[in-house]
Amino acid sequence: MKILLRISLLFIGLCALLVWVAPSSAGSSFDEIKKRGYILWGSDAEGGAPYVFPDPKDPSRLVGFEVDLANAIALELGVTARQSQNAWDSLIPALQRGDFDIAMNGIEITPQKQETVLFSVPYYIYSEQLVVRKDNNDIHGVSDLRGKKVGTLSGTVAQEILTKTEGVDVKVYAGQVEPYEDLAIGRIDAVLLDLPIASYYGKTNPKLKYTGDPVGEGFYGIAIRKSDADLKKAIDRILLKLHSSGELRKIYEKWGLWDVTQKGLAAKINPSEGYIGVEESKKAPLYTFFPMLLKGALITVAISTTSMMLAVALGLFLTLARLYGSPLLRGSATGYIEVYRGTPLLIQLYILYYGLPNIGISLSPLLAAFLGLGMNYAAYESELYRAGISAIPKGQMEAALSLGMTKTLAVRRIVLPQAIRIALPGVTNDFIALFKDSSLVSIIAMVELTKTYNILAASTLRFFELGLIAALLYFMMSYPLSLLARRLEARMKQGAR
Amino acid sequence: MISIRDLYKQYGEHQLFKGINLDVSRGKVMVLIGPSGSGKSTVLRCINGLENFERGTVTVDGIEISAAGAGSYDRAYEENIRKVRRKVGMVFQQFNLFPHKTVIENIIEAPTHVLGLQRESAVEGALLLLKRINLAHKIDSYPDRLSGGEQQRVAIIRALAMKPEAMLFDEPTSSLDPEMVGEVLAVIRDLVTEGMTTVIATHEMGFAREVADRVVVFDQGEMIETGTPDEIFSRPQKERTRTFLSRIRE
Repeated sequence: MKILLRISLLFIGLCALLVWVAPSSAGSSFDEIKKRGYILWGSDAEGGAPYVFPDPKDPSRLVGFEVDLANAIALELGVTARQSQNAWDSLIPALQRGDFDIAMNGIEITPQKQETVLFSVPYYIYSEQLVVRKDNNDIHGVSDLRGKKVGTLSGTVAQEILTKTEGVDVKVYAGQVEPYEDLAIGRIDAVLLDLPIASYYGKTNPKLKYTGDPVGEGFYGIAIRKSDADLKKAIDRILLKLHSSGELRKIYEKWGLWDVTQKGLAAKINPSEGYIGVEESKKAPLYTFFPMLLKGALITVAISTTSMMLAVALGLFLTLARLYGSPLLRGSATGYIEVYRGTPLLIQLYILYYGLPNIGISLSPLLAAFLGLGMNYAAYESELYRAGISAIPKGQMEAALSLGMTKTLAVRRIVLPQAIRIALPGVTNDFIALFKDSSLVSIIAMVELTKTYNILAASTLRFFELGLIAALLYFMMSYPLSLLARRLEARMKQGAR
Repeated sequence: MISIRDLYKQYGEHQLFKGINLDVSRGKVMVLIGPSGSGKSTVLRCINGLENFERGTVTVDGIEISAAGAGSYDRAYEENIRKVRRKVGMVFQQFNLFPHKTVIENIIEAPTHVLGLQRESAVEGALLLLKRINLAHKIDSYPDRLSGGEQQRVAIIRALAMKPEAMLFDEPTSSLDPEMVGEVLAVIRDLVTEGMTTVIATHEMGFAREVADRVVVFDQGEMIETGTPDEIFSRPQKERTRTFLSRIRE
């Protein structure tokens, strides 16, 4: 016993040591970069023009003004630049974790972010551009957005501007392509995003146009870990040099990004001057996030329950079609089940929401989420029912038939009620799974609990505390269901009733 | 009342019946005996359409089920089978009570949903029948709370509640503990006494001798001998009958 205790204590101690050691080994300083000969810079190439994106002529190669900038910086450092792919809204947490040395991807310098990371001097001055459909004539500026659906990116200054404007229905996206696509097909009324994004995705779309002057003024900076002050100093020096040598201007002109505002960069780029354009905001206490998280949780409940109802009903239909239908019906039901079980839910959701508009069917996020989850889970429910039905002895059907019942009546009154009792624990377990899978619908601009967390955490960078709260909310919703499932299972074991 | 003509039945490769002919007149009792797998249960199941057959006809009270309709999706064929089932009640070896329904619900299920009876009158009729078998106090019990004998008696009542003109019993006591066989046979005896047309497949030779008007001996899908109980049990003509009877008497 004592030995066992000692071994387990030793094990715990070892684990603690590992946790202690891990972060310092992951952090890479300025010297390390020089030693290994390359600098790793984090960015998101998914729909990332004109910042970082796969070259349309050769998709294996990344291009963009930040690629050029990264190469220029690396050259000055005497190393090469390597891009590290990371989802845009988690670039900063990934940087802190040590996944790469710097993060550069249109990251706006804000006081919140400065609490967690260092920023280089600004390398670009951006403003926010409002984009609408060509046929729209009533939106001329942010003040006209009351009551409109406006798309933007998660964790951006544009999102902050929109949330502060009263009466705007803000739709938050994870990528920069999707909001403009949704705008073009009429799902939303306008998109407010950084001018470089608008110039690349908004202006080039024949159905869309700019409206009003750019608003706000902010700065893109290179994010660097707080422990790497020497790296920041070096990069600041390099940016200053690239600016005064005209190299920076050349890069921006190449990408059509040089405008009058960039001339003001000279004043801002001098680190001795203050350059923060965004107003100071204090760290909000945790409870202020509760209303939003609870609202997200409510939407999660609503989506899960309604799509579960669809799954239960459609699943039952599939089962009956499969067991008692004509050959054609049987074949299509089997095909449906195989296809839905054999492909990822995520892809199904993408096709429903972003794919169907290509053939003229545009679903609202809510409808797409409901159909996507419901139709997917119907396949699983159907299998559960089928197992339940096959568990019913043949004699039950024969007894019912011999009493003069039709097959339909016998299935409805005798076989199904017993089969459903058998399937019920499994169905409850599936409901729990659906609850958690409902977080996947956040990819189709549906702001449920996970998306709410995502948005709040991306703008405040409080991934940890908010993550715990969101997880707790999920747990509070699914735990009662687990208890129910366990009770049902226990009852099943007891007797057939 | 029940008449089987030239019945052929095949299980996969195995040809069970090669032309069975059988007649049961109204009010008469026919008992089918023979070793397990000899085909007596299958005959019963063919009579009320639980089994398809390849050739021949089954006629019940003028309604004909012919082999031709089986397999395909023939409405008239299905309709005829249902008509036959309305006239003929069936009791199974495994009782087959509905486990999710109470005794009374088991009994009134078909009268209310097939005959369209009002619940009250169906319950009234069921209670009368239950009193006959002294199970009126069990109306709200679920089948798993009943003994095997009680379950089988309820199953008989459930079939009778449809007011059938004939009853088929497929080895009604074979799954019962010996001490419960008597109570089930007593119920069947009562029915027979009242003049119910009955076909019973059974291994209870004493009971067969007592109630049967005619006894049919099956072996390997063949009807090897038919006669009165006295003829079959006292003066069997066929060697195979004698072998079977001596084996069962051991």
